[in-house]
Amino acid sequence: MSLKDIIAPFSVWKRVFEKPYTNKKPIDTRPGAPRYRGFHVNDLDTCIGCGTCEEICQNAAIDMVPVRETRHGDSGLRPKMDYGRCCWCALCVDICPSGSLGMSNEYLWVDEDPEVFRFIPGQDGKPWNDSELGYRRAEGYDLLEGSRVPMPMLSVQESQKSFVEMVQGYSKEQAKAEADRCIACGICVATCPAHMRVPEYIKAIRDDDMGEGLKIVYQANPLPASCGRVCSHACEYVCAMKHKGEAISIRWLKRYIVDQIYLGDYANILHECEPDNGKKVAIIGSGPGGLSAAYYLRLLGYAVTIYDANEKAGGMLRYGIPEYRLPYDQVEKDIEFIASLGVEFRQNVRIGIDVDFLEVYDNNDAVFFSTGLSNPFGLDIAGEDLPGVVSGLDLLADVTNGKTPDIGSSVVVVGGGNVAMDAARTSRRYGADVTILYRRRETDMPADSEEIHEARGEGCEIVVQAIPLRIEKGTETRLMLYWGKAEMVSDGPGKRPRPVLIEGSEEVIACDTVIPAIGQAADLTFLPQDIASGLVGKRGYVEVDEFHRTPVAKIYAGGDIANPKRDAISAIANGHSAAKGIDIYLGNFQN
Amino acid sequence: MVEMAKYDPRDKFPPVDAGSGKSVYNLHSGKYMKVWQGPQHPGITGNMSLELTVCGDEIIDCKTHVGYLHRGFEKLMERRRYIQCFPLVCRICVPEPDFNEYLFAEGVEELAGIEVPEKARWYRALTLEMARLASFMMWIGGQAAAFGMGTIGQWTVTMRDYVLDLFEELSGGRIYHMYIIPGGVRADLPIGFALRVEQTLEQIGKVLDDVELALMHNAVFKKRALGLGVITPSMVDEYGITGPNARGSGIRRDIRKDNPYLVYDQLEFSIVTETGGDAYARTWVRLRETRQSIDLIRQMLEKMPTSGPFFQKLPNVLHWKIPAGQTYRKAECTRGEYGFFMVSDGTELPRRIYVRGPSYTHAVTLMEKLAVNVNIADTAGLMVSLHTYPPEIER
Amino acid sequence: MATERQERTMQEVNDSGLVGDRPAGLKFVHVEADQAVAYITRLRDVQGYTHLVFFTAIDYIEDSLFRLTYMVHNYDSRQDMGVQVDIPRQGASMESIHHLWPHAATYQRELKEMFGIDFPGSPGVDDSFILEGWTGISPMRREFDTRQYSEQTYFPRPGRVTHDTAAYMKENLYPSEAETW
Repeated sequence: MSLKDIIAPFSVWKRVFEKPYTNKKPIDTRPGAPRYRGFHVNDLDTCIGCGTCEEICQNAAIDMVPVRETRHGDSGLRPKMDYGRCCWCALCVDICPSGSLGMSNEYLWVDEDPEVFRFIPGQDGKPWNDSELGYRRAEGYDLLEGSRVPMPMLSVQESQKSFVEMVQGYSKEQAKAEADRCIACGICVATCPAHMRVPEYIKAIRDDDMGEGLKIVYQANPLPASCGRVCSHACEYVCAMKHKGEAISIRWLKRYIVDQIYLGDYANILHECEPDNGKKVAIIGSGPGGLSAAYYLRLLGYAVTIYDANEKAGGMLRYGIPEYRLPYDQVEKDIEFIASLGVEFRQNVRIGIDVDFLEVYDNNDAVFFSTGLSNPFGLDIAGEDLPGVVSGLDLLADVTNGKTPDIGSSVVVVGGGNVAMDAARTSRRYGADVTILYRRRETDMPADSEEIHEARGEGCEIVVQAIPLRIEKGTETRLMLYWGKAEMVSDGPGKRPRPVLIEGSEEVIACDTVIPAIGQAADLTFLPQDIASGLVGKRGYVEVDEFHRTPVAKIYAGGDIANPKRDAISAIANGHSAAKGIDIYLGNFQN
Repeated sequence: MVEMAKYDPRDKFPPVDAGSGKSVYNLHSGKYMKVWQGPQHPGITGNMSLELTVCGDEIIDCKTHVGYLHRGFEKLMERRRYIQCFPLVCRICVPEPDFNEYLFAEGVEELAGIEVPEKARWYRALTLEMARLASFMMWIGGQAAAFGMGTIGQWTVTMRDYVLDLFEELSGGRIYHMYIIPGGVRADLPIGFALRVEQTLEQIGKVLDDVELALMHNAVFKKRALGLGVITPSMVDEYGITGPNARGSGIRRDIRKDNPYLVYDQLEFSIVTETGGDAYARTWVRLRETRQSIDLIRQMLEKMPTSGPFFQKLPNVLHWKIPAGQTYRKAECTRGEYGFFMVSDGTELPRRIYVRGPSYTHAVTLMEKLAVNVNIADTAGLMVSLHTYPPEIER
Repeated sequence: MATERQERTMQEVNDSGLVGDRPAGLKFVHVEADQAVAYITRLRDVQGYTHLVFFTAIDYIEDSLFRLTYMVHNYDSRQDMGVQVDIPRQGASMESIHHLWPHAATYQRELKEMFGIDFPGSPGVDDSFILEGWTGISPMRREFDTRQYSEQTYFPRPGRVTHDTAAYMKENLYPSEAETW
């Protein structure tokens, strides 16, 4: 014990006159740090109600409650926080795909009523709602992957040389990596016209359970090999991951599942048909609508016969979509399974000519027709009947039937839809120079943007705001197409602008072939006149109710003739609804 | 003149059984009293209680009761996905939550085969050293206050508060940082962070000088702490003693040197030891280690890379399956060897995560042994000198 | 006899080419229950593994066994060694090691309380360690369902209701029977 030990402790006195460390009024003067994890803020307009925040919260502190209107791509639910359970870890902020959820740096909230601490951030007016500071997910740290696994594809230079399929398909590793990106929110299910249970079959890919995946797919869609290649994938446009980066490749993941299983093994995996119930159904048109109705009716035990005017089944899938997009053997795979269940196919049979409609009508307990749109619209200009003018559908059908089309070395395609793109790219593959004329702007073109992009990549020249005027015989080439420039005139707010021909502007293109592809109309001439008149409703569609029953007894309809969406998956969904409707109507449906 | 026999108050103490080292006594003899120190007691770190059997005011038997802070972490984690366990683990230990986060992240990374970027490893080491600093600050306050010197406690807790301010700026939380995540860290250093850290370190350095003067050269402290709770070198392995408790008895062991993790093999520091083995020696060890932490933080700020990623992308954490395996990761926290034993079974949920806290051995078996023949007044000082912290005992 | 699953786990541990900071000296060995204490004594006395790091158990309910894990550390070679012993879940019991390390008694006390593994002779093994007045089954056993327990014992906060995104969208956007596949 030295003297130092007795005196040294008195050194604490030197702090007697020091300023205290504490703030006198901390509550007013001490804001949280810029990154402080304080109370939640949420941009209700950006939020899509996917529920991933609820999924990751390990305290079960978040409920999804209805706040906004439900729309495609937005469930209308918004997160409601329970601050009795929240631990402010900010994992919900980190994982939010749309980035709407954040945290302010506010940390003081005093109230007598405990119920106010369960609140919907962004909705109730809280003082911290507009706070700029607070925790946000840092750049360089991300729990989700925004970039898609790139799909191996032939380059446009390579692809345009032949009809080999352009998209090559995912490998197992790639498929699993892409499937891993899915957050299983389920927003896509409502947008798919067939309401396929997408998150579930994506999970089957993660678990490498192809049998389970196939079962889930077939529950809503019996043509997955085709849809997995050409579906218009409305689901991908509303995918939650689109807000983060790129949508999950839902279509190609579906293709992956189907590609893994041999046709011969389907029977072991998929449901068996119910025993025959003695009822018969006739289906007219073996396109996606008819095939889907046939499949589901057959599963329910009906005897199904499909009548189709073409040589082979498949409808537009085979005759309208070129091989480099949808190879014929894949269409065959889908159709053969349906046929193997016992569905009878009568190809090359035209109703009204080879077989009387009323005979079919009387011999069956119900009739479903989805005959599609097979009458192309004409251009309504002079010279349309000259040799060298061939409609898009006719060209594509010829190619499907194995005939080399006589298109010469230069082609002009008129139109901006998928048929126009298909016709243009097919012509390229036969070595022609292709120009595409469309009367509106490129943003108005109804074709898939991938199609337009690939058409351009393959060398097709796209000319927009061009209105064809007349066709004349050409000198060095077979034809001369005269067209005029159009200007877009506003038709009023909310409507798309109209193209109006600029008087006096006239251009000419010398070409060997002109291919009009400006849309098609339905051909209902196979029906007797009195029935046909009872069917067609407003705007040229066949009138149907939710079960796709027409006003005429026993007749059901679906597909392009009955719905405005006009794609394969809608036709498939229609076929399924009609099958259900027929089942209910024929009294077999057990509730 | 009659020779009076020397009166030794210890004559009334019960005999000690040589085998178990425990006193043999009859509670109903009226000579003894049971006193509960805790669970709410200023002299207890955290929430724990000591059931003391005293004879007069000397302890003859001590039994530690834990369980007041049992929150069932290990069972909770068996039901949560790995990313959902991440916000849980830091709550196991309040003074240094980052060690939990770090060990959990390391365990997951090892089992899943993820390599963390270099910059993230430096940030993790920086966070760990800052956590050590904050924890020591709190401890110094506790040790001084246990002997009645509350002033020193007020200084050091303030300094700890400044370190917590730094954490708030870095991670968004003061106590539960949730900053070290499997894959790296959650954010980069804010702009100007190094400067503010340096300012705080300077302040802390000055306070430590004052503390050393007022505490270590203090007649009262010396009288009470010298000879209190002597740990002999042979007891160290027998009782599973790690950390400054062992180093106070001259045992040169430090996980940062012996089994280096993160970037400690690139830093210069030496193992701090003392030879007394008593509370006074342990206080010296910890004071020196606090200065060592300050020095390490300065070294790190100088040597760390300034560019590069700080996070390695993980597979989708919502359905992340980690291959089956098991591992044990450990780190040197202020109290000793802190470890996470993790077992995965190939599913999304962990099979078993066991947290090995240093206080498990210090607060129960060791305390019960050292408390014998200690004055009641000194129990608090003894307990704090072992730097025990109950949550890691009962998790 | 190790089951296939145990073999797989051990094999994976041995084979796994793990990237990242693998601690330099960590090994796991599998020992039969009747030889375990002798093995550990030998590790401590002869091979220098003087420090008992921890002692815990893993519940493999599907295989009906507890895997006890003794982790010992050698300060000279700086190696950690995890000695793993499988014991059956029914009537689980193991020889005590409190004579090797006094603090092992605490670990054994916790294992008895949490898993129901008995260590006959261990001082204070039947004293409650963490829980007070608990009369149910040992809580760390996997058959103890914490969720079920909390639902039976406590009530949820009134007024909390949540919605599943896909189901809610279905109700609002396509409720009709026609589209319910």
